[in-house]
Amino acid sequence: MNLQYKALTVKNNILKLFLVLVLFATVSLQAKPALMKSLTAVKPAINAPALYLEDTEEELINIKQFKGQVVIVNFWASWCPPCTREMSSLENLYKTYKSKGLVVLAVNVGEDDDAVFDFSSVMNPELTAIILFDKDSKAMQRWKAIGLPTTFVLNKKGKIVYQAVGGRDFNDEKITKIIEALLEE
Amino acid sequence: MQKIQRLLLLSFLLFSASAQELTKDNVNFTIRQIPTPAVKAFYIGRGFSVAQTKPYADTCVYTTTLRNDKADEDIHYIRKNWYASVDKTRHHIQTNEYWKKQFDKSEVTPSSWIAFRLSQMPEEQIYAANGGWNQGILSVNVPHGTTFDLTIIWDKKGIENELTIQGINCEK
Repeated sequence: MNLQYKALTVKNNILKLFLVLVLFATVSLQAKPALMKSLTAVKPAINAPALYLEDTEEELINIKQFKGQVVIVNFWASWCPPCTREMSSLENLYKTYKSKGLVVLAVNVGEDDDAVFDFSSVMNPELTAIILFDKDSKAMQRWKAIGLPTTFVLNKKGKIVYQAVGGRDFNDEKITKIIEALLEE
Repeated sequence: MQKIQRLLLLSFLLFSASAQELTKDNVNFTIRQIPTPAVKAFYIGRGFSVAQTKPYADTCVYTTTLRNDKADEDIHYIRKNWYASVDKTRHHIQTNEYWKKQFDKSEVTPSSWIAFRLSQMPEEQIYAANGGWNQGILSVNVPHGTTFDLTIIWDKKGIENELTIQGINCEK
């Protein structure tokens, strides 16, 4: 009886170990795609299109009011995994450099206020960047952003000098150095 | 014995839902099937009705990523040129225009259409060298239960490249 019990226990332990290995392998295979750590220089720099949208207080925000500042325009949606994954690093970037004049405009595309508030209320860190609503996606089309997320970086003259297609790790030094250089211009 | 069989079956199911991945010329593509209930749930969350999700959910739906991680040049692609091969028959990826016509029949709202359009792998895109990528949903118009090869085509400096992932299962 004892030997049978021990044999069964060993068998069960082997099966459990096998299952753990399978789960580990499966999770590894399904690992989230890495966020990129670079921005693409836009050469020559181009004038930024118009951006005139409501924020969370239903106030109209015009990108022109930020002339003289470095502005990051990020197109996103709460259902877009790379968008939500990069948002915390974008918020960290904003918090780090806002005292030096960095502006971040997080332009939500196609969603209503509830969807955006549901997402931002659980975000960690809390989202303090300016959220704008591009409900009909016309701003995104005007900026020729094709997919989500797409990010544009404007210099103090209001020209697009960098862009990024796909999720980014905005904490990475390659990106923060670019932002610092633009802020010092 | 039944418990063992259940554990093995669960392991098999987990493995069969794993991503497939291929890198060629420093361009990386991954694909993983989204189960039909999850497809429906996602689009219901975007404002579709259950009935409105049906034409799309009845196809084989995947989450995909295409990355220009390390290529030395920008790459460009047109999604409708991609195709699934089943018994030497090619099934090209449907255009957004095709889906718009399907959804217009069932009066999908403009905001739901925007979410649908933006959730797809972009129809045409350029990825900058060393950094451009997207994650998007891809519908392959073959019946559930089919196994197919998927060919992804892109061009770099005007020269066409392609990669083919073989033996992709479309689970029922």
